[in-house]
Amino acid sequence: MRPFKFTTVSDISSATNSVAGKPNARFLAGGTNLLDLMKEDVERPEELIDITRLSLAQIKPLTDGVNKGGISIGALGKNTDAANHPLIRQNYPLLAQAILAGASGQIRNMATNGGNLLQRTRCPYFYDVAMPCNKREPGGQPGCGAREGINRMHAIFGWSEKCVAVHPSDMAVALAALDAVVKVRSASGPERIITLADFHRLPEDRPEIDTNLSPGELITAIELPKNRFAEKSYYLKVRDRSSYAFALISVAAALEMDGNRVVQARIALGGVAHKPWRALKAEQLLVGQEATEANFKRAAEVEMADAKPLEHNAFKVELGKRSIVRALQVALTGNRS
Amino acid sequence: MQEKNKVTGTPVSRIDGILKVTGKAAYATDYPVKNIAYAVLFKSTIAAGTIRSIDTGPAEKSPGVLAVITHKNAPKLNVEGGIRGGALLQSPKIEFHGQHIGLVVAETYEQARYAARLVKVEYDQSKARVDFEKLSKEAALPKDKEKADAKRGDARAALQNAEFKVEAVYGTPIEHHHPLEPHSTIAEWQGDNVVLYNSSQIVNGAQNAAAATLNIKPENVRIVSPYIGGGFGSKGGQWANLVLTAVAAKAVNRPVKLALTRQQMVNSVGLRQQNHQKVSLAATKDGKLTALAHETTTHCAIENEFVEPCGDCSKIMYEVPNSLITYRVVPMNLILPTYTRGPGKSTGSFALESAMDELAHQLKMDPIELRLKNEPTRDPSNGKPWSSRTTVQCLQEGAKAFGWEKRKAEPRQNQQGNFLIGYGVACGTYPAHQRPSSARVTLNRKGNAITARVELAAADLGTGTHTILAQTAADALGLPLNQITVKLGDSDLPPAAGSVGSVGASSYANAVHDACVKLTDELIAKSGKQFFVRPTAAQLMVSENVADYQTRVDAKPPANADQYSSHSFNANFAEVRVDIATGMVRVTRFLAVTGAGKILNPKTARSQIIGGNVWGIGMALTEESVVDPRWGNFVTRSFGDYHVPANLDIGAMEAIFIREDDRASNALGVKGIGEVGIVGVAAAVANAVFNATGKRIRELPITPDKLL
Ligand SMILES: Cc1cc2nc3c(=O)[nH]c(=O)nc-3n(C[C@H](O)[C@H](O)[C@H](O)COP(=O)(O)OP(=O)(O)OC[C@H]3O[C@@H](n4cnc5c(N)ncnc54)[C@H](O)[C@@H]3O)c2cc1C
Ligand code: SF4
Repeated sequence: MRPFKFTTVSDISSATNSVAGKPNARFLAGGTNLLDLMKEDVERPEELIDITRLSLAQIKPLTDGVNKGGISIGALGKNTDAANHPLIRQNYPLLAQAILAGASGQIRNMATNGGNLLQRTRCPYFYDVAMPCNKREPGGQPGCGAREGINRMHAIFGWSEKCVAVHPSDMAVALAALDAVVKVRSASGPERIITLADFHRLPEDRPEIDTNLSPGELITAIELPKNRFAEKSYYLKVRDRSSYAFALISVAAALEMDGNRVVQARIALGGVAHKPWRALKAEQLLVGQEATEANFKRAAEVEMADAKPLEHNAFKVELGKRSIVRALQVALTGNRS
Repeated sequence: MQEKNKVTGTPVSRIDGILKVTGKAAYATDYPVKNIAYAVLFKSTIAAGTIRSIDTGPAEKSPGVLAVITHKNAPKLNVEGGIRGGALLQSPKIEFHGQHIGLVVAETYEQARYAARLVKVEYDQSKARVDFEKLSKEAALPKDKEKADAKRGDARAALQNAEFKVEAVYGTPIEHHHPLEPHSTIAEWQGDNVVLYNSSQIVNGAQNAAAATLNIKPENVRIVSPYIGGGFGSKGGQWANLVLTAVAAKAVNRPVKLALTRQQMVNSVGLRQQNHQKVSLAATKDGKLTALAHETTTHCAIENEFVEPCGDCSKIMYEVPNSLITYRVVPMNLILPTYTRGPGKSTGSFALESAMDELAHQLKMDPIELRLKNEPTRDPSNGKPWSSRTTVQCLQEGAKAFGWEKRKAEPRQNQQGNFLIGYGVACGTYPAHQRPSSARVTLNRKGNAITARVELAAADLGTGTHTILAQTAADALGLPLNQITVKLGDSDLPPAAGSVGSVGASSYANAVHDACVKLTDELIAKSGKQFFVRPTAAQLMVSENVADYQTRVDAKPPANADQYSSHSFNANFAEVRVDIATGMVRVTRFLAVTGAGKILNPKTARSQIIGGNVWGIGMALTEESVVDPRWGNFVTRSFGDYHVPANLDIGAMEAIFIREDDRASNALGVKGIGEVGIVGVAAAVANAVFNATGKRIRELPITPDKLL
């Protein structure tokens, strides 16, 4: 590991002040991703700002503002606590399921909600400093190891010639489906609100930039609006082993029904793009329609029609269709078996 | 299994269990050696070529660094000394991606790891041979005589005229051993002598290889390895890291510790090679096999050859008049493959036992019946009688215990909601051998309290060797278990076989038993008395008023052992549940029925068997080390990418042992269980997947994409 400076802060403004103007400083939350990457020499911060003492762990109902009736989830709360919180279990079971589908019990006990959104891709070329990677070395030797390499786990939507990585978070996929917003603070300027849809970005020509967070910005909370999806939602994660593996494909699906008619649908996909992928075409197609298998299939077909698979991941197109249909069916009926 | 008043054959818990779970058992790098420095290896980033220049200047100047060793300043070592896989820093030549090219020694681990990143290397690259799919076409006959074409009758002709036949190619990927404890060593020189605290499956083998490579005498090398955190073959032969730790310690004139990282494990300590196995079976319509051909194509290292014996099961499992077993191998720029749990048998049985299932399906015959029809009465490969063979019992008892009659004969007939259910069966076998081993037993008496110490340079991989030897000694000496101390894993102790090839239990237990019998005989002789009932050693110590007594034996396998063909056998039963939409497979139930001679401890034996089963399920469903065919690097370098099964992947596991008393195999009738537990498992799972879905997957692992 490279030597680095370690700074502990106890409030938001000292946290944001500590990083202001220091492009090589990083916040340290649970450390489950950042420290791994530092050991592998992928992340090379000169300074770590330990933010774990900030009081940003609360989960509370929102009593005013645009998301009144919704919920605020503190950035420094642990993934485990978010997944087990009664308000989340009751009103946002999709989010609880998505969090529990990720990592392992031990890691979720350390991992924070803010850190989860900012975890970096699991592309193996990114993790191996002996390999070319535009995301890791934007100024260095150009090249994406995965574009023509082993890319079974990689993107089928929204990739660029520069980078074909996917965002690995499960939690973020549920948050995308549930129209979450992210609240951030910086040393200069007032609180900023970024919708989850705009939080992560596509790689385009700048794969080194994962999100639209500006340098020095601190995530303080994630907010979810009130919704009527609690009864009919499901997070499906397809993976190479039953737990503790990243998604080949995941689907966060939520329905609001009037009888057998879909009033609102939310579908987001994980494991397919550089960001959680909202399946807007599928959603639109379902609204006002009967919730039938045929309609679910049609929606899935329409959404996956735009997929552009790479050499090793063509299976994700068919798997994506099937998974969307299955997730919607389980959301609708509650029957997983 | 249990005899009256005997502790052998009873399910006692590991005697070292408390030490382990409380962290008190000292593994290699746990030894509290003073004034220690830390070494970190650095590795090539190309797969083939030579190092043109290597700049260690910045690393040497980095804080805390004591030495940087590369091929330019490494001492001359004997590359023929028995270290596997090369990478001993003797030349600038690069033969695989991730070959060791140097190491940094520093005051702290972090300083060493940091400095290792500062070394700048330039290469002259040559074209790397790393694409097995392409290179397999160039594969040729191995140099190893044991891998020459083995023919009985004329399999090709019989296949041509066959009424029913299966001809298919089965693929198994590279796998890594990935023991929980990565390979790790502390080296401490005292004058001309070096102590190597090192995780070794073959203590004396490590001693000899280290000595020969360092150009010193074996008596100048001591290996200390009492506990091992798994090895699975990767700690059988020794690799460069062992000797390089000694080199580093010499260079800085201090004890040095070197532990591989998980990422370094993929190209430091061998691997299970990728295989293409073509199996051809011919049969009559009533299911009698008329021909069996098993043709394996694989890869080895550029300089050294290793070919796992994939055809071994096919040689002996079935009565068949025409048989052909062949191997072809192609050198590649990858680390040398090596013994990996159930070498050849685990992978070979996947091919053979899948093909048997395909044949049964074609014949519309129950796969158990097909196997029973072809049961050989003697070893078909050499005509020798079996010391014992339990395949039939394993199949029959297993079928009963598993509820095999509930299996639907036709695939895809058992749907429950979103899932398809399937049953699969497959057989396995592994040779049983006793190897020469010595043992020393010492008795001490204080008043009427007698304690015994059992010592030999055996290795306990974490499987319970300490415990079974204490049990063996307790019964042979007439002492309670808690009066026995077992000391293993030190080359200063009487030499012993390695814990490899499933020979540990039989070699060690027979040696310890012989030593205890000899000790008792000697005490009787010393007493000068005639006894009507043979007394125990414990009784003699008291009656003859002996304070201390020690003896030692050099035990050998029975003289007539090679008159028999001696093997463990099993039958594996798997129930799988396959998600129709997503292709995710879960093994909901698994049963292994094993005939492995005398079971010394049913508890540790069960753990061994289900441990093998779990790896077999990993082989079937999840494990695969993937090489980038452009550059020869592994893209699966962490447990996030290399998927060993997680708890949720494993359903209900059951292990049944067939009672047998096979004294033709060795005096105690103990056969090995270390490897047979993985043999046949992948095929049982794949056959169950076929029964569930109607899809025959011939390329492992069976990941969801293959079932869409
Ligand atoms: C073996 C393994 C398996 C895993 N499997 C899964 C999985 O299946 N699904 C899944 O979703 N995840 C998985 N994870 C990832 C895990 O969820 C993340 O590592 C975790 O959520 C990161 O949170 P953290 O608090 O530890 O972040 P850290 O590692 O502390 O930080 C990550 C990044 O976020 C930044 N950061 C943290 N908090 C803030 C903040 N409040 N404001 C601004 N920046 C911040 C840090 O500077 C850093 O750059 C796995 C991880 C491991 C190690
Ligand atoms: S896909 Fe992205 S992260 Fe992976 S190697 Fe290419 S640039 Fe790097």
